[in-house]
Amino acid sequence: MSVPPSSPLHAATFSRRSLLAAALAGTALLAAGCTDSPGDAADAVTPAQVDQLAAAVAVQEQLVSAYDRALGADPALAGTVTVLADQARTQLERLRAAAPGAAASTTAGSSAALDPAGVRGWLRTQVSTAAAAHAAAAPDFTGGRAALLGSIAAGLRGQEAVLA
Amino acid sequence: MSAQDDGTPEGRDGTAMADDGSTTPGSATAAEDAALQEALAAAHTAIWGYGVVGAAVPLEARGPVVAAEQAHQDLREQLTTLLASRRVEPVDDEGGYALPFPVLSPVDAAALAVTLEEGAATAWTWVLDQATEHSTRELAVGALTGAELRAVGWRAQAGVTPVTTAFPGLPTT
Repeated sequence: MSVPPSSPLHAATFSRRSLLAAALAGTALLAAGCTDSPGDAADAVTPAQVDQLAAAVAVQEQLVSAYDRALGADPALAGTVTVLADQARTQLERLRAAAPGAAASTTAGSSAALDPAGVRGWLRTQVSTAAAAHAAAAPDFTGGRAALLGSIAAGLRGQEAVLA
Repeated sequence: MSAQDDGTPEGRDGTAMADDGSTTPGSATAAEDAALQEALAAAHTAIWGYGVVGAAVPLEARGPVVAAEQAHQDLREQLTTLLASRRVEPVDDEGGYALPFPVLSPVDAAALAVTLEEGAATAWTWVLDQATEHSTRELAVGALTGAELRAVGWRAQAGVTPVTTAFPGLPTT
C-alpha cells in the first residue's frame, strides 16, 4: 500500500523521521481504515468481532440520537453542540462502513423529556460512555479497525472536554 | 539474554535480530516495532517542540506546556523501555528540528503545539494500525487520547475551529 504523503506535517520541516511517520500513517490508514480487503489478514474479523463492531455501531447510533435529543431539549446549545453532533454522525458513517453487514437502524432511544438545565451534563455523560466503549473495543481489533475505533474514542474524549 | 548457536541474539519470539538492533523482517512484531519507533520519533519531536512553545508563552501560562512536555517524556520512556525489551535499538532524537513557521507569539506557540500533538496522534494511530500485541494497542489508545485532549486545548488557544476533530490521527479524507 503506497500513497503519496498527505499529512499537514509534510509542509512542516520537522525531522524526516517525523514526516515519514505522518506520511506512512496517512497511507496505511487510508487503505485500511474502513475497507474490508479479503486478502488482508489484518482486516479479517471473527464472528465475535462482527458482533463487537455491531455493538460499536449501536453505541454510536445512541450517541447521535443523544445529540438530537439534547439539541431538541435546549436549542441554546446549538452553537456548541451542532459541530460535535455532525462529527458524531460522520464517525457513525465510518463505523458502519467498517462493520461487515452493518446497516442503518432505528435506535429506540428514550423519549423522556430532558431537563434543559441538565442537558449539557447529561450529554457529556453520553459522550463519555461512548468514548469508553470505543476505547475498550479498539485493542480487540487489528489494523484499520483498531485505528478507527481508537481514533473515534479519542475524538469523543475531545468532545467530552468541550462539554465540560 | 538468549542466543542462537551462531551467537546472534534472538528476539522474544525467537527471531534473529539484526546487528544494529532492529528486528529482522520476519519478526512477529517487526511492523509494530517500526510503528513504535515512529511514535518515539514523534515524542522526541514533541519534547523539543514544547521547549519552543514554552519560550513563547508567559511564565504564568506555562503550566499546560510543562504538563504536555512531561506527558511526551513519559511516553518516550515507555517506548524506549518497550523497544529495548525487544532488543530493538530505540531511535534517538535529532538534536534539533526546523520549525514549520515562526513562533513569535503565544498564538503561534499554541499553533505549534497543535502541530506537535497532531503529529503524535498520527504516529499513534499508525501504531494502532500496525500493532500485533493487545497491550500495545491499549497503550496506543491512551496515548492517542492524550494527544487529542491536549490538541483540543491548544486549538482553542490558537483560534482554530472547530477545536475537536472526528478522527484524530486519521486522514481527513
